[in-house]
Amino acid sequence: MNEAAQRLGVSLRQTEDELTRNMLASTASFINCTGGTNGDNPTNLTRTDVDEVIKTLADNNAYTIGQNIEGEDKFGTAPVRDAYFAMGSTKLIGDLEDVDGFIAKAQYPAPMNAMKPEWGSISNLRFLLSSIGSITSSGSALGNDVYNIFCVGMEAFAVVEQDGYSSQFIYRPPIYDGPLALNASVGYKFAQVPRITNDAWVINLRTTLA
Amino acid sequence: MDGTVIQQGKFTSDGSSKFLNIRSDVDWMEIINYTQSATTQTTGRGVMFRWQRGMADAAGIMYTKQDSANALDLEVITAGGFTLLDTSDKTLGALNATGSGVTAASPAVVSATSTAGLAAGDVVRMYNVAGMQQIAGMDFTLGTVTTNTSFQLVHLDASGFAAAGTTCSFRKVPFQPMFYPRARYITKVTKAASAVITLSVTHGYNVDDVVKFVVPSEFGMVELDGVQGKVTAISTANNTITVNVDSTAFTTFAFPTSAIAAAGVTFAQVIPVGSEGTNSVEAATDNVDYIGMSLGAGADAPAGSSSDVIYWRAGKSLIVDNE
Repeated sequence: MNEAAQRLGVSLRQTEDELTRNMLASTASFINCTGGTNGDNPTNLTRTDVDEVIKTLADNNAYTIGQNIEGEDKFGTAPVRDAYFAMGSTKLIGDLEDVDGFIAKAQYPAPMNAMKPEWGSISNLRFLLSSIGSITSSGSALGNDVYNIFCVGMEAFAVVEQDGYSSQFIYRPPIYDGPLALNASVGYKFAQVPRITNDAWVINLRTTLA
Repeated sequence: MDGTVIQQGKFTSDGSSKFLNIRSDVDWMEIINYTQSATTQTTGRGVMFRWQRGMADAAGIMYTKQDSANALDLEVITAGGFTLLDTSDKTLGALNATGSGVTAASPAVVSATSTAGLAAGDVVRMYNVAGMQQIAGMDFTLGTVTTNTSFQLVHLDASGFAAAGTTCSFRKVPFQPMFYPRARYITKVTKAASAVITLSVTHGYNVDDVVKFVVPSEFGMVELDGVQGKVTAISTANNTITVNVDSTAFTTFAFPTSAIAAAGVTFAQVIPVGSEGTNSVEAATDNVDYIGMSLGAGADAPAGSSSDVIYWRAGKSLIVDNE
Protein backbone atom coordinates (compact mmCIF):
# COMPACT_ATOMS: atom_id res chain seq x y z
CA MET A 1 0.00 0.00 0.00
CA ASN A 2 2.79 2.42 0.87
CA GLU A 3 4.55 1.63 -2.36
CA ALA A 4 1.36 2.07 -4.34
CA ALA A 5 0.78 5.44 -2.72
CA GLN A 6 4.32 6.54 -3.51
CA ARG A 7 4.06 5.49 -7.12
CA LEU A 8 0.68 7.11 -7.57
CA GLY A 9 1.97 10.30 -6.00
CA VAL A 10 4.78 10.46 -8.54
CA SER A 11 2.33 9.66 -11.32
CA LEU A 12 -0.03 12.42 -10.18
CA ARG A 13 2.59 15.14 -10.11
CA GLN A 14 4.19 13.97 -13.33
CA THR A 15 0.82 14.00 -15.07
CA GLU A 16 0.28 17.57 -13.89
CA ASP A 17 3.68 18.49 -15.30
CA GLU A 18 2.94 16.79 -18.60
CA LEU A 19 -0.37 18.60 -18.99
CA THR A 20 1.27 21.94 -18.30
CA ARG A 21 4.07 21.07 -20.71
CA ASN A 22 1.55 20.15 -23.41
CA MET A 23 -0.39 23.35 -22.85
CA LEU A 24 2.77 25.38 -23.35
CA ALA A 25 3.66 23.36 -26.44
CA SER A 26 0.20 23.94 -27.91
CA THR A 27 -0.06 27.66 -27.51
CA ALA A 28 3.20 29.42 -26.66
CA SER A 29 4.92 31.53 -29.31
CA PHE A 30 8.32 30.29 -30.36
CA ILE A 31 11.71 31.42 -31.55
CA ASN A 32 13.82 29.05 -33.59
CA CYS A 33 17.50 28.86 -32.74
CA THR A 34 19.39 30.24 -35.72
CA GLY A 35 22.89 30.80 -34.36
CA GLY A 36 24.09 27.23 -34.58
CA THR A 37 26.06 25.45 -37.25
CA ASN A 38 24.33 22.10 -37.62
CA GLY A 39 22.62 23.18 -40.86
CA ASP A 40 19.10 22.54 -39.62
CA ASN A 41 16.21 24.89 -38.85
CA PRO A 42 16.09 25.36 -35.92
CA THR A 43 19.82 25.04 -35.35
CA ASN A 44 21.62 23.85 -32.26
CA LEU A 45 21.58 26.16 -29.24
CA THR A 46 24.04 29.05 -29.05
CA ARG A 47 24.65 32.05 -26.87
CA THR A 48 23.13 34.29 -29.56
CA ASP A 49 19.82 32.43 -29.23
CA VAL A 50 19.88 32.60 -25.45
CA ASP A 51 20.55 36.34 -25.63
CA GLU A 52 17.67 36.78 -28.08
CA VAL A 53 15.21 35.13 -25.71
CA ILE A 54 16.42 37.12 -22.72
CA LYS A 55 16.20 40.33 -24.70
CA THR A 56 12.67 39.52 -25.86
CA LEU A 57 11.45 38.69 -22.36
CA ALA A 58 13.09 41.81 -20.96
CA ASP A 59 11.59 43.91 -23.78
CA ASN A 60 8.19 42.52 -22.79
CA ASN A 61 8.73 43.61 -19.19
CA ALA A 62 8.80 40.09 -17.81
CA TYR A 63 10.17 39.84 -14.29
CA THR A 64 12.93 37.37 -13.60
CA ILE A 65 12.13 34.50 -11.24
CA GLY A 66 15.44 33.40 -9.77
CA GLN A 67 17.33 35.70 -7.44
CA ASN A 68 20.94 36.46 -8.21
CA ILE A 69 23.51 34.42 -6.31
CA GLU A 70 26.25 36.69 -5.12
CA GLY A 71 29.84 35.87 -5.97
CA GLU A 72 32.04 34.46 -3.22
CA ASP A 73 35.72 33.85 -2.77
CA LYS A 74 35.52 30.17 -3.72
CA PHE A 75 37.70 28.47 -6.31
CA GLY A 76 35.96 27.76 -9.64
CA THR A 77 32.71 29.55 -8.88
CA ALA A 78 31.03 32.47 -10.56
CA PRO A 79 28.17 34.75 -9.58
CA VAL A 80 24.78 33.84 -11.03
CA ARG A 81 22.53 36.56 -12.38
CA ASP A 82 18.90 36.95 -11.52
CA ALA A 83 17.22 34.89 -14.18
CA TYR A 84 14.24 33.72 -16.14
CA PHE A 85 13.63 29.98 -16.00
CA ALA A 86 14.11 27.74 -19.02
CA MET A 87 12.47 24.32 -18.85
CA GLY A 88 13.67 21.66 -21.24
CA SER A 89 14.64 18.07 -21.84
CA THR A 90 17.56 16.31 -20.18
CA LYS A 91 18.70 15.38 -23.70
CA LEU A 92 19.97 18.96 -23.99
CA ILE A 93 22.64 18.46 -21.36
CA GLY A 94 25.62 18.15 -23.70
CA ASP A 95 24.58 21.02 -25.92
CA LEU A 96 23.91 23.29 -22.96
CA GLU A 97 27.37 22.81 -21.58
CA ASP A 98 28.88 23.84 -24.92
CA VAL A 99 27.17 27.23 -24.94
CA ASP A 100 29.38 30.22 -24.21
CA GLY A 101 28.94 31.43 -20.66
CA PHE A 102 27.42 28.23 -19.26
CA ILE A 103 27.79 27.99 -15.49
CA ALA A 104 27.14 24.53 -14.06
CA LYS A 105 25.15 24.25 -10.85
CA ALA A 106 28.28 23.02 -9.09
CA GLN A 107 29.94 26.32 -9.96
CA TYR A 108 27.32 28.41 -8.24
CA PRO A 109 28.79 30.15 -5.19
CA ALA A 110 25.88 28.67 -3.21
CA PRO A 111 24.59 25.55 -5.01
CA MET A 112 22.08 25.00 -2.23
CA ASN A 113 20.16 27.93 -3.72
CA ALA A 114 19.64 25.99 -6.93
CA MET A 115 16.68 23.73 -7.47
CA LYS A 116 16.87 19.95 -7.86
CA PRO A 117 16.26 19.86 -11.62
CA GLU A 118 18.52 22.84 -12.28
CA TRP A 119 21.47 22.06 -14.53
CA GLY A 120 23.10 25.45 -14.81
CA SER A 121 22.71 28.97 -16.09
CA ILE A 122 23.62 31.03 -19.12
CA SER A 123 23.45 34.77 -18.72
CA ASN A 124 19.99 35.56 -17.30
CA LEU A 125 18.52 32.14 -18.03
CA ARG A 126 18.60 29.25 -15.56
CA PHE A 127 17.93 25.83 -17.07
CA LEU A 128 15.66 23.28 -15.38
CA LEU A 129 15.80 19.92 -17.12
CA SER A 130 13.50 16.93 -16.96
CA SER A 131 13.25 13.55 -18.62
CA ILE A 132 9.74 14.55 -19.68
CA GLY A 133 10.85 17.85 -21.23
CA SER A 134 8.97 18.79 -24.36
CA ILE A 135 10.12 17.31 -27.66
CA THR A 136 8.46 17.76 -31.04
CA SER A 137 9.38 14.59 -32.83
CA SER A 138 10.72 15.07 -36.36
CA GLY A 139 9.89 18.75 -36.16
CA SER A 140 12.86 20.41 -37.84
CA ALA A 141 13.43 21.33 -41.47
CA LEU A 142 15.63 18.26 -41.88
CA GLY A 143 13.29 16.01 -39.94
CA ASN A 144 15.20 15.89 -36.66
CA ASP A 145 13.60 16.10 -33.24
CA VAL A 146 13.03 19.63 -31.98
CA TYR A 147 13.59 20.33 -28.28
CA ASN A 148 11.22 22.91 -26.86
CA ILE A 149 12.75 25.05 -24.12
CA PHE A 150 10.02 27.03 -22.40
CA CYS A 151 11.58 30.27 -21.21
CA VAL A 152 9.32 32.00 -18.71
CA GLY A 153 9.18 35.08 -16.58
CA MET A 154 7.42 35.40 -13.26
CA GLU A 155 3.69 34.52 -13.31
CA ALA A 156 3.79 33.77 -17.02
CA PHE A 157 1.52 30.77 -16.59
CA ALA A 158 -0.60 29.27 -13.87
CA VAL A 159 -2.50 26.15 -12.92
CA VAL A 160 -6.09 26.86 -11.91
CA GLU A 161 -7.66 24.40 -9.51
CA GLN A 162 -11.22 23.44 -10.34
CA ASP A 163 -14.12 22.33 -8.16
CA GLY A 164 -12.45 23.56 -5.02
CA TYR A 165 -9.68 21.03 -4.83
CA SER A 166 -6.27 20.33 -6.30
CA SER A 167 -6.12 16.57 -6.21
CA GLN A 168 -7.45 13.65 -4.23
CA PHE A 169 -5.85 10.36 -3.33
CA ILE A 170 -8.53 7.70 -3.14
CA TYR A 171 -8.38 4.39 -1.30
CA ARG A 172 -11.19 1.85 -1.09
CA PRO A 173 -10.45 -1.17 1.12
CA PRO A 174 -11.45 -4.64 -0.08
CA ILE A 175 -14.60 -4.73 2.01
CA TYR A 176 -16.19 -2.19 -0.32
CA ASP A 177 -15.13 -4.02 -3.44
CA GLY A 178 -17.14 -7.21 -3.42
CA PRO A 179 -18.70 -9.89 -1.23
CA LEU A 180 -15.41 -11.76 -0.89
CA ALA A 181 -13.36 -8.61 -0.22
CA LEU A 182 -10.70 -9.64 -2.68
CA ASN A 183 -9.60 -6.39 -4.25
CA ALA A 184 -8.69 -2.98 -2.93
CA SER A 185 -8.69 0.16 -5.07
CA VAL A 186 -6.25 3.03 -4.97
CA GLY A 187 -6.07 5.95 -7.33
CA TYR A 188 -6.01 9.67 -7.69
CA LYS A 189 -7.95 12.32 -9.46
CA PHE A 190 -7.35 15.99 -9.98
CA ALA A 191 -9.16 18.86 -11.60
CA GLN A 192 -6.77 21.50 -12.82
CA VAL A 193 -6.44 23.75 -15.83
CA PRO A 194 -2.99 24.94 -16.91
CA ARG A 195 -3.07 28.29 -18.62
CA ILE A 196 -0.72 30.98 -19.94
CA THR A 197 -1.51 34.19 -18.10
CA ASN A 198 0.62 36.49 -20.24
CA ASP A 199 1.80 35.24 -23.58
CA ALA A 200 4.50 37.91 -23.79
CA TRP A 201 6.27 36.31 -20.84
CA VAL A 202 6.54 32.82 -22.32
CA ILE A 203 8.76 31.96 -25.24
CA ASN A 204 9.39 28.52 -26.59
CA LEU A 205 13.02 28.44 -27.69
CA ARG A 206 13.13 25.62 -30.24
CA THR A 207 16.42 23.87 -30.86
CA THR A 208 17.90 20.77 -32.41
CA LEU A 209 20.93 18.91 -31.13
CA ALA A 210 24.40 19.74 -32.41
CA MET B 1 -16.78 -5.17 -9.42
CA ASP B 2 -14.72 -2.11 -8.72
CA GLY B 3 -12.03 -1.37 -11.27
CA THR B 4 -14.39 -2.03 -14.16
CA VAL B 5 -16.40 0.47 -16.11
CA ILE B 6 -19.23 -0.31 -18.49
CA GLN B 7 -20.71 2.31 -20.75
CA GLN B 8 -23.39 2.12 -23.36
CA GLY B 9 -25.17 4.26 -25.88
CA LYS B 10 -26.72 4.44 -29.30
CA PHE B 11 -26.46 6.55 -32.41
CA THR B 12 -28.05 6.73 -35.83
CA SER B 13 -25.56 6.07 -38.59
CA ASP B 14 -25.00 8.69 -41.26
CA GLY B 15 -23.24 6.15 -43.43
CA SER B 16 -19.77 7.36 -42.55
CA SER B 17 -17.28 6.08 -40.01
CA LYS B 18 -18.12 6.96 -36.42
CA PHE B 19 -15.92 7.96 -33.50
CA LEU B 20 -17.11 7.27 -29.96
CA ASN B 21 -15.35 9.22 -27.22
CA ILE B 22 -14.89 6.84 -24.29
CA ARG B 23 -12.72 8.63 -21.76
CA SER B 24 -12.48 5.73 -19.33
CA ASP B 25 -10.62 3.77 -22.05
CA VAL B 26 -11.99 0.53 -23.35
CA ASP B 27 -10.95 -3.14 -23.28
CA TRP B 28 -13.93 -4.65 -25.05
CA MET B 29 -16.86 -3.50 -27.14
CA GLU B 30 -20.07 -4.86 -28.58
CA ILE B 31 -22.17 -3.34 -31.33
CA ILE B 32 -25.68 -4.25 -32.43
CA ASN B 33 -27.18 -2.86 -35.60
CA TYR B 34 -30.74 -2.67 -34.31
CA THR B 35 -32.25 -1.59 -37.61
CA GLN B 36 -30.73 -4.37 -39.68
CA SER B 37 -31.37 -6.97 -36.98
CA ALA B 38 -35.07 -6.31 -37.37
CA THR B 39 -34.98 -6.50 -41.15
CA THR B 40 -35.23 -9.52 -43.36
CA GLN B 41 -32.10 -9.49 -45.46
CA THR B 42 -31.99 -10.21 -49.13
CA THR B 43 -28.28 -10.72 -48.75
CA GLY B 44 -26.68 -11.48 -45.44
CA ARG B 45 -24.97 -8.57 -43.69
CA GLY B 46 -23.28 -7.74 -40.44
CA VAL B 47 -25.64 -7.02 -37.56
CA MET B 48 -23.49 -7.64 -34.48
CA PHE B 49 -19.82 -6.89 -33.90
CA ARG B 50 -17.34 -7.57 -31.11
CA TRP B 51 -13.90 -6.34 -30.29
CA GLN B 52 -11.42 -7.02 -27.51
CA ARG B 53 -8.16 -5.33 -26.66
CA GLY B 54 -5.34 -7.09 -28.44
CA MET B 55 -7.04 -7.25 -31.84
CA ALA B 56 -5.34 -5.43 -34.70
CA ASP B 57 -6.46 -1.99 -35.86
CA ALA B 58 -9.63 -2.07 -37.99
CA ALA B 59 -10.29 -5.72 -37.02
CA GLY B 60 -13.14 -7.36 -35.11
CA ILE B 61 -15.61 -10.24 -35.01
CA MET B 62 -18.73 -9.91 -37.15
CA TYR B 63 -22.00 -11.81 -36.80
CA THR B 64 -23.76 -11.87 -40.15
CA LYS B 65 -27.49 -12.32 -40.39
CA GLN B 66 -28.18 -15.00 -42.98
CA ASP B 67 -30.26 -14.37 -46.06
CA SER B 68 -33.95 -14.23 -45.19
CA ALA B 69 -33.46 -16.05 -41.91
CA ASN B 70 -33.15 -15.15 -38.26
CA ALA B 71 -29.82 -16.90 -37.85
CA LEU B 72 -26.26 -15.72 -37.49
CA ASP B 73 -22.95 -16.66 -39.02
CA LEU B 74 -19.67 -15.57 -37.51
CA GLU B 75 -16.55 -14.32 -39.22
CA VAL B 76 -13.44 -12.26 -38.57
CA ILE B 77 -13.12 -8.90 -40.24
CA THR B 78 -9.71 -7.34 -40.77
CA ALA B 79 -10.76 -4.04 -42.32
CA GLY B 80 -13.46 -1.52 -41.54
CA GLY B 81 -13.91 -2.74 -37.97
CA PHE B 82 -12.73 -1.27 -34.67
CA THR B 83 -9.72 1.02 -34.19
CA LEU B 84 -8.82 2.19 -30.70
CA LEU B 85 -7.56 5.78 -30.71
CA ASP B 86 -5.68 7.79 -28.11
CA THR B 87 -4.90 11.22 -29.51
CA SER B 88 -2.42 12.00 -26.74
CA ASP B 89 -0.05 9.73 -28.66
CA LYS B 90 1.60 12.26 -30.98
CA THR B 91 3.73 9.77 -32.87
CA LEU B 92 4.08 10.91 -36.47
CA GLY B 93 3.54 8.77 -39.52
CA ALA B 94 6.45 7.09 -41.29
CA LEU B 95 8.86 9.22 -43.28
CA ASN B 96 7.79 9.34 -46.93
CA ALA B 97 10.72 10.35 -49.12
CA THR B 98 9.00 10.03 -52.47
CA GLY B 99 8.35 13.75 -52.96
CA SER B 100 9.74 14.94 -56.28
CA GLY B 101 8.45 18.50 -56.59
CA VAL B 102 6.44 21.33 -55.08
CA THR B 103 4.86 23.80 -57.47
CA ALA B 104 5.26 27.54 -56.97
CA ALA B 105 1.53 27.99 -57.41
CA SER B 106 -1.66 28.60 -55.46
CA PRO B 107 -2.24 26.20 -53.94
CA ALA B 108 1.14 24.53 -53.95
CA VAL B 109 1.01 20.94 -55.16
CA VAL B 110 3.45 18.26 -54.04
CA SER B 111 4.29 15.48 -56.48
CA ALA B 112 4.90 12.14 -54.79
CA THR B 113 4.93 8.61 -56.09
CA SER B 114 3.43 7.38 -52.83
CA THR B 115 0.53 9.02 -51.03
CA ALA B 116 -0.16 6.00 -48.85
CA GLY B 117 -2.32 6.85 -45.85
CA LEU B 118 -3.07 10.41 -46.97
CA ALA B 119 -6.51 11.89 -47.56
CA ALA B 120 -7.92 15.38 -47.98
CA GLY B 121 -8.02 17.14 -44.62
CA ASP B 122 -5.01 15.29 -43.23
CA VAL B 123 -2.01 17.25 -41.98
CA VAL B 124 1.55 16.62 -43.19
CA ARG B 125 4.88 18.05 -42.10
CA MET B 126 7.24 18.88 -44.97
CA TYR B 127 11.00 18.26 -44.80
CA ASN B 128 14.10 19.34 -46.67
CA VAL B 129 12.29 20.76 -49.68
CA ALA B 130 15.12 21.42 -52.12
CA GLY B 131 14.63 24.85 -53.65
CA MET B 132 11.77 25.71 -51.27
CA GLN B 133 13.28 25.41 -47.80
CA GLN B 134 10.98 28.18 -46.55
CA ILE B 135 8.29 25.54 -45.96
CA ALA B 136 10.58 22.84 -44.54
CA GLY B 137 9.49 21.95 -41.02
CA MET B 138 6.03 23.46 -41.45
CA ASP B 139 2.71 21.61 -41.16
CA PHE B 140 0.02 21.86 -43.84
CA THR B 141 -3.53 20.69 -44.25
CA LEU B 142 -4.04 18.75 -47.46
CA GLY B 143 -6.52 19.50 -50.20
CA THR B 144 -7.06 17.12 -53.07
CA VAL B 145 -5.00 13.95 -52.93
CA THR B 146 -4.42 12.17 -56.24
CA THR B 147 -3.40 8.66 -55.32
CA ASN B 148 0.31 8.02 -55.73
CA THR B 149 0.67 11.17 -57.82
CA SER B 150 0.27 14.36 -55.81
CA PHE B 151 -1.42 16.27 -53.01
CA GLN B 152 -2.30 19.91 -52.49
CA LEU B 153 -0.96 22.07 -49.67
CA VAL B 154 -4.31 23.73 -49.95
CA HIS B 155 -3.64 26.76 -47.75
CA LEU B 156 -0.23 27.65 -49.18
CA ASP B 157 -0.09 30.27 -51.91
CA ALA B 158 3.44 29.72 -53.25
CA SER B 159 2.87 31.71 -56.44
CA GLY B 160 5.19 34.44 -55.17
CA PHE B 161 8.04 32.06 -54.43
CA ALA B 162 11.15 32.44 -56.58
CA ALA B 163 11.22 28.82 -57.64
CA ALA B 164 9.46 25.52 -57.36
CA GLY B 165 10.68 22.89 -54.94
CA THR B 166 12.20 19.64 -56.11
CA THR B 167 12.96 16.64 -53.92
CA CYS B 168 11.29 16.58 -50.50
CA SER B 169 10.05 14.32 -47.74
CA PHE B 170 7.02 14.43 -45.49
CA ARG B 171 5.29 12.72 -42.60
CA LYS B 172 1.63 12.55 -41.70
CA VAL B 173 0.78 14.36 -38.45
CA PRO B 174 -2.07 12.22 -37.15
CA PHE B 175 -3.09 14.28 -34.13
CA GLN B 176 -2.86 17.97 -33.30
CA PRO B 177 -1.38 19.49 -30.11
CA MET B 178 -3.38 18.79 -26.98
CA PHE B 179 -4.82 22.17 -26.05
CA TYR B 180 -7.25 24.30 -28.04
CA PRO B 181 -6.93 26.84 -29.56
CA ARG B 182 -3.46 26.22 -30.90
CA ALA B 183 -0.66 28.33 -32.31
CA ARG B 184 -0.69 28.19 -36.11
CA TYR B 185 1.70 29.09 -38.93
CA ILE B 186 0.84 32.04 -41.17
CA THR B 187 1.07 31.56 -44.94
CA LYS B 188 -0.46 34.82 -46.12
CA VAL B 189 -1.61 38.22 -44.82
CA THR B 190 -3.55 40.72 -46.88
CA LYS B 191 -3.02 44.47 -46.73
CA ALA B 192 -6.50 45.64 -45.85
CA ALA B 193 -8.51 47.67 -43.35
CA SER B 194 -9.25 44.36 -41.66
CA ALA B 195 -6.33 42.07 -42.34
CA VAL B 196 -7.12 38.55 -43.54
CA ILE B 197 -4.66 35.92 -42.39
CA THR B 198 -4.34 32.47 -43.95
CA LEU B 199 -3.07 29.65 -41.71
CA SER B 200 -1.26 26.56 -42.93
CA VAL B 201 -3.32 24.11 -40.88
CA THR B 202 -7.08 24.16 -40.23
CA HIS B 203 -7.19 26.77 -37.49
CA GLY B 204 -10.29 26.06 -35.43
CA TYR B 205 -10.49 29.65 -34.19
CA ASN B 206 -13.79 31.33 -33.47
CA VAL B 207 -15.06 34.86 -33.86
CA ASP B 208 -14.13 36.87 -30.75
CA ASP B 209 -10.94 34.90 -30.12
CA VAL B 210 -8.04 37.22 -29.38
CA VAL B 211 -4.77 36.43 -31.09
CA LYS B 212 -1.25 37.80 -31.20
CA PHE B 213 1.05 37.78 -34.22
CA VAL B 214 4.69 36.84 -34.45
CA VAL B 215 6.15 38.01 -37.77
CA PRO B 216 9.95 37.81 -37.97
CA SER B 217 11.66 40.34 -40.24
CA GLU B 218 12.35 37.65 -42.85
CA PHE B 219 8.59 37.59 -43.58
CA GLY B 220 8.34 41.27 -44.43
CA MET B 221 5.32 42.54 -42.53
CA VAL B 222 7.23 43.48 -39.39
CA GLU B 223 4.55 46.03 -38.41
CA LEU B 224 2.32 43.11 -37.49
CA ASP B 225 4.89 41.55 -35.16
CA GLY B 226 3.67 41.61 -31.57
CA VAL B 227 0.32 43.11 -32.50
CA GLN B 228 -2.78 41.72 -30.82
CA GLY B 229 -6.11 41.55 -32.61
CA LYS B 230 -9.60 40.16 -32.27
CA VAL B 231 -11.00 37.70 -34.78
CA THR B 232 -14.00 39.34 -36.44
CA ALA B 233 -14.71 36.70 -39.08
CA ILE B 234 -13.49 33.28 -40.13
CA SER B 235 -13.59 31.29 -43.33
CA THR B 236 -13.45 27.56 -42.97
CA ALA B 237 -13.29 27.17 -46.76
CA ASN B 238 -10.18 29.33 -47.09
CA ASN B 239 -8.86 28.65 -43.59
CA THR B 240 -8.56 32.37 -42.87
CA ILE B 241 -9.26 34.66 -39.97
CA THR B 242 -10.16 38.32 -40.36
CA VAL B 243 -8.92 40.52 -37.55
CA ASN B 244 -9.50 44.09 -36.45
CA VAL B 245 -6.03 45.19 -37.52
CA ASP B 246 -5.56 47.70 -40.34
CA SER B 247 -2.62 46.42 -42.37
CA THR B 248 -3.15 48.75 -45.33
CA ALA B 249 0.09 50.61 -44.83
CA PHE B 250 2.12 47.62 -43.67
CA THR B 251 5.03 46.09 -45.56
CA THR B 252 3.89 43.24 -47.80
CA PHE B 253 3.96 39.79 -46.18
CA ALA B 254 6.22 37.41 -48.08
CA PHE B 255 8.07 34.20 -47.31
CA PRO B 256 11.86 34.47 -47.20
CA THR B 257 13.88 32.90 -50.00
CA SER B 258 14.84 29.27 -49.79
CA ALA B 259 18.46 30.18 -49.08
CA ILE B 260 17.57 32.51 -46.22
CA ALA B 261 15.23 29.93 -44.72
CA ALA B 262 17.88 27.23 -44.97
CA ALA B 263 20.18 29.37 -42.85
CA GLY B 264 17.55 29.35 -40.10
CA VAL B 265 14.37 31.37 -39.57
CA THR B 266 11.48 31.48 -37.16
CA PHE B 267 8.13 30.98 -38.87
CA ALA B 268 5.37 33.60 -38.79
CA GLN B 269 2.77 32.55 -36.22
CA VAL B 270 -0.66 33.31 -34.84
CA ILE B 271 -0.79 32.81 -31.07
CA PRO B 272 -4.14 32.49 -29.29
CA VAL B 273 -4.05 34.61 -26.16
CA GLY B 274 -7.68 34.77 -25.04
CA SER B 275 -11.17 35.46 -26.11
CA GLU B 276 -14.03 37.84 -25.72
CA GLY B 277 -17.76 37.36 -25.85
CA THR B 278 -19.37 33.97 -25.66
CA ASN B 279 -16.19 31.91 -25.92
CA SER B 280 -15.02 33.23 -22.53
CA VAL B 281 -12.19 31.45 -20.77
CA GLU B 282 -12.96 27.99 -22.05
CA ALA B 283 -11.63 28.69 -25.51
CA ALA B 284 -8.06 29.02 -24.35
CA THR B 285 -7.86 26.18 -21.88
CA ASP B 286 -9.51 23.26 -23.57
CA ASN B 287 -7.73 19.91 -23.52
CA VAL B 288 -9.24 18.30 -26.60
CA ASP B 289 -7.35 15.02 -26.61
CA TYR B 290 -9.47 11.92 -26.29
CA ILE B 291 -9.51 8.18 -25.99
CA GLY B 292 -12.14 6.34 -27.93
CA MET B 293 -13.12 3.93 -30.65
CA SER B 294 -13.30 4.56 -34.36
CA LEU B 295 -15.92 2.40 -36.09
CA GLY B 296 -15.83 1.62 -39.77
CA ALA B 297 -18.96 2.20 -41.85
CA GLY B 298 -20.81 0.09 -44.39
CA ALA B 299 -23.06 -2.95 -44.67
CA ASP B 300 -20.50 -5.19 -42.99
CA ALA B 301 -19.04 -2.72 -40.53
CA PRO B 302 -19.93 -1.65 -36.99
CA ALA B 303 -21.04 1.91 -37.83
CA GLY B 304 -23.56 0.49 -40.32
CA SER B 305 -25.27 2.20 -43.23
CA SER B 306 -27.12 5.48 -43.34
CA SER B 307 -30.13 5.64 -40.97
CA ASP B 308 -29.21 2.40 -39.17
CA VAL B 309 -29.77 2.66 -35.42
CA ILE B 310 -26.70 1.31 -33.67
CA TYR B 311 -26.57 0.27 -29.99
CA TRP B 312 -23.19 -0.13 -28.36
CA ARG B 313 -21.70 -1.31 -25.07
CA ALA B 314 -18.09 -0.89 -24.07
CA GLY B 315 -16.22 -1.95 -20.98
CA LYS B 316 -13.02 -1.55 -19.08
CA SER B 317 -11.88 -4.76 -17.45
CA LEU B 318 -10.26 -5.19 -14.06
CA ILE B 319 -7.55 -7.33 -15.62
CA VAL B 320 -6.49 -7.80 -19.23
CA ASP B 321 -4.32 -10.86 -19.72
CA ASN B 322 -3.25 -10.97 -23.36
CA GLU B 323 -0.46 -13.53 -23.51
